[in-house]
Amino acid sequence: MRSLRELATARIRAWSARRHGADALPVKIERRRIYILPTRFGLMLTALLVAMLVAGLNYSSNLGLVFAFFMVSTVLVAMHHCHRNLLGLTVDVKAEVDAFAGSDAAFYFMLRNESAVDRCDVEVRLGTATDSPRMIVQATRSVAIGSYEEVMLAAPVTNRGVSRWNQFELRTTYPFGWFRAWTYVHAPLTAYVAPSPRGNRPLPPAAAVAGDSARSDSRGEEDFAGLRSYAPGIPLKHMAWKTLARGGEAAVRVYTDPAARPEWLEWSSLHGLDTETRLSQLCRWITASETGHAPYGLRMPQIDVPPGRGPAHRSRCLRALACHGMPRP
Amino acid sequence: MKLAAPSATRVTYDQLRWMSVCLALALAVHAASLPIWLLATIAAAIAIRLALSARGYAPPSRAIRAVVSVASIGILFLQLRTFNGVAAGSALLSLVAGLKLFETDSRRDLYVVALIIYFLSLAALLRSESFWLLTYLLAVSWLTSVTLLRLTQSTQPSPWRRSARYAGRISAQALPLALVLWLFFPRFDGPLWHVPSDGHSAETGLSDTMSPGDITDLALSDDIAFRVHFDGPPPPARERYWRGPVLHDFDGRSWRRTIAVRSQAHDLVPTGPAYRYLLSLEPHQHNWIFALDWPDRWDLADAYLTNDDMLVRPALLSHPLDVNVSSHTRVQSTEPLSDAMRRRDTRLPAERNPRTRQLALELRRTHPDALAYVDAVLDLFRRQPFFYTLEPPPLGLNSVDEFLFDTKRGFCGHYASAFATLMRAAGIPARVVTGYYGGTYNRFADYWIVSQSDAHAWDEVWIEGRGWMRVDPTSAVSPGRVESGLEGPLAAGSHLAGRWGQRFSWISDARLQLDALRQLWRERILRYDLKSQDRLLTDLGIPQPDGQKIAMVMGAGLALVFIWLTWHIRREQRPDPKDPVVRAYRSLCRKLAAAGVPRRPSEGAESFAARVGVERPDLGDNVGMLCRRYSRLRYGGHRRTAQERWFVARVRAFRPRRT
Repeated sequence: MRSLRELATARIRAWSARRHGADALPVKIERRRIYILPTRFGLMLTALLVAMLVAGLNYSSNLGLVFAFFMVSTVLVAMHHCHRNLLGLTVDVKAEVDAFAGSDAAFYFMLRNESAVDRCDVEVRLGTATDSPRMIVQATRSVAIGSYEEVMLAAPVTNRGVSRWNQFELRTTYPFGWFRAWTYVHAPLTAYVAPSPRGNRPLPPAAAVAGDSARSDSRGEEDFAGLRSYAPGIPLKHMAWKTLARGGEAAVRVYTDPAARPEWLEWSSLHGLDTETRLSQLCRWITASETGHAPYGLRMPQIDVPPGRGPAHRSRCLRALACHGMPRP
Repeated sequence: MKLAAPSATRVTYDQLRWMSVCLALALAVHAASLPIWLLATIAAAIAIRLALSARGYAPPSRAIRAVVSVASIGILFLQLRTFNGVAAGSALLSLVAGLKLFETDSRRDLYVVALIIYFLSLAALLRSESFWLLTYLLAVSWLTSVTLLRLTQSTQPSPWRRSARYAGRISAQALPLALVLWLFFPRFDGPLWHVPSDGHSAETGLSDTMSPGDITDLALSDDIAFRVHFDGPPPPARERYWRGPVLHDFDGRSWRRTIAVRSQAHDLVPTGPAYRYLLSLEPHQHNWIFALDWPDRWDLADAYLTNDDMLVRPALLSHPLDVNVSSHTRVQSTEPLSDAMRRRDTRLPAERNPRTRQLALELRRTHPDALAYVDAVLDLFRRQPFFYTLEPPPLGLNSVDEFLFDTKRGFCGHYASAFATLMRAAGIPARVVTGYYGGTYNRFADYWIVSQSDAHAWDEVWIEGRGWMRVDPTSAVSPGRVESGLEGPLAAGSHLAGRWGQRFSWISDARLQLDALRQLWRERILRYDLKSQDRLLTDLGIPQPDGQKIAMVMGAGLALVFIWLTWHIRREQRPDPKDPVVRAYRSLCRKLAAAGVPRRPSEGAESFAARVGVERPDLGDNVGMLCRRYSRLRYGGHRRTAQERWFVARVRAFRPRRT
């Protein structure tokens, strides 16, 4: 039964993908991409309404008919409202994220409601990554008039590599749970799944020299490289207080010291280990180097990432690990 | 006892409580027809579940639930012997709803309860014609929808008032759609299959016997007997006699109706104008139709005249009935009175009322002419101190004797009875006619209301060569001898408004207006049927509507309403472009875009301000303040015009530098 339902859902999804083509984010949900069907509760209610109409007609009870017609109309209007609950909502998502194998790929969805009515109980669903079809993650949010909501979906990823989701789904059963309106957004979501950081080899010797922290306190020689979120343990003097004061999240400034010698994390320095262990060790080094101050680079068999620092750089390095030995998507 | 494990679909105490309230409100209208133990069982089941839920416990175990369900449904079946029909079905559904609440654990259980509430509401309406019941049950279904709305929300439910308003708005938007369905949904002539009829409750009204004091009870009742709409001018007040049961058999105390047969010949010759009118009869427990004396033609195929000129139909009037009738208030009989009828209408019990018989014989000796004798008897009532009262003294077996010679106080029934006895004792055929007299004109909607308090009794005597002649002995009583508060046939006016209404005319006006609404309700809603639908469609230019045409009209109507609804919902969604705050915010965004920091489409005011703070620290404070103010003005709930003006002025004064 369940598999039959899944099969039907997959069919609808594929048909919808052919019908709408690929979507460019952000997507504003318009009329023709919203589908609506009664829920199980809605079907029971429909059967009840038929019984009500038959009873009203059979007993020639005009008041019974008035009540039955009122209920039928309420259901039809509720259908409109259910449809409306998605209509015109704007959804955006950062389509490429980094993750570590064995943990979650965190996708941040942004639901924006620019209309003059609340959008209640909108469920964002991410299921059926091409490699793990049974896994569905979802979260439900209400988006007030004119505001936005960020929804984080943590999709578990088990294997290193590139995980892709061809689409995600927004659905709602608001207001009364009689109907379910849904839409597919056919924008591929990608998680670059780096190996889980493991291994206890020390950082390469050259890096150890570069990591000498005595120099990095001299702020005048460092370049501001950007902001990244605060994590406990980072010195408070790097805190971006202004951002915090404006109500932003706690962030720390990242500086690069151009004078510091770059550390090179090299694939070739880890000979004697199998591929995955090597990748895990490299990953461990990258996460460790990111908390230091010196720029670092990654040298892999097919690809070199020149030295640098900051979230973007880290992401490039991790993706190099994730894609290692994988067919290009 | 198990503690409830937390889960997203598990019901909360609040949800359970509100659904219980809805069920209780829906059950309230069935309470009178449900066994007491059943109500107690349902109440106990709900109370136990609520108490458990309030303390965070799971519902009772499966074994307990099974025992309670099987036992209570079994007892109910033993008592009712059937679950068929509206009453038994409602009882079973009520019990199932109570049991369902008892075992409620997840939302799905409450969905079932909601469905039962909807169906119980319908079941209560199947046998009802009350506007107030419908209003009440629509309110209950609205409250159920509010509860469902809050039940479906898995995020923090919005405040109660907002849910209530939203459900109310959906209900209001459903009304035009319901109207289209109401007008054009195909109707059938008669039921789809036979339904067992429940017993009817006793209703007030005239009966086929008349004992002293009977009509007094009716005189105190404001219940409506029927309404009349005249085509053209109504007959004068003294001719508005609405004919009910004609009584022939007298046992000295009570008058009774004998079985009347269908009149073979139509022997009444009109001597006055015809009046055409629409009678809207309230249901009563008999088969007679209160037509104006004397009915001539009517549009009801199965109705017929009896040989004592009553309009009757074969079936009881258990439902309201509308009938068009035409009557002549003045007629003559051409046929002679048959011997059988003459015997019937001159018969008196031999040993009762000897004094009255004596009086009749004496009077008749001095007045040999029948008409002169009638006048003499009326003169008797006029001259002697007879009083007209609602509280006559009790009378014994020789009721006429006691009334005429001792008490001399009575209501129309006493006078009609005494008069007929005096006539029969003198050998003149006489019969008592009960019915209604007069009526109250409702000037707000051009119809007459005849209520139970207009009930009346009068006589008919047979005058050779003229036929039956109406005599109303009550009208012979001097108006000066009417006791307080009574108008009766002595002053053809309103009983409806009663004593108070005369002193405060606005009260009687209000009552008349209310009744006009009631009549409208009855005509437009309760009596709307296949015929009315045909008439409506014919008026709309669709002659001889058949099923296909009706379906097309309904489809077109539904499509129109759907288009309206879509447009309406769209308009609701669009932010008001004339809103000065919205306009000022747009201008702020334009200025910032010109200054090199355009707002991204996905950014809200606050996140935009945060980004501006990072990218342009020189503007950050100002923009941050304006955006916070904007959010508060726009989504904070209340608006203050002073703050709005301030915001607009600050945005106008804001001049960001380009970098």
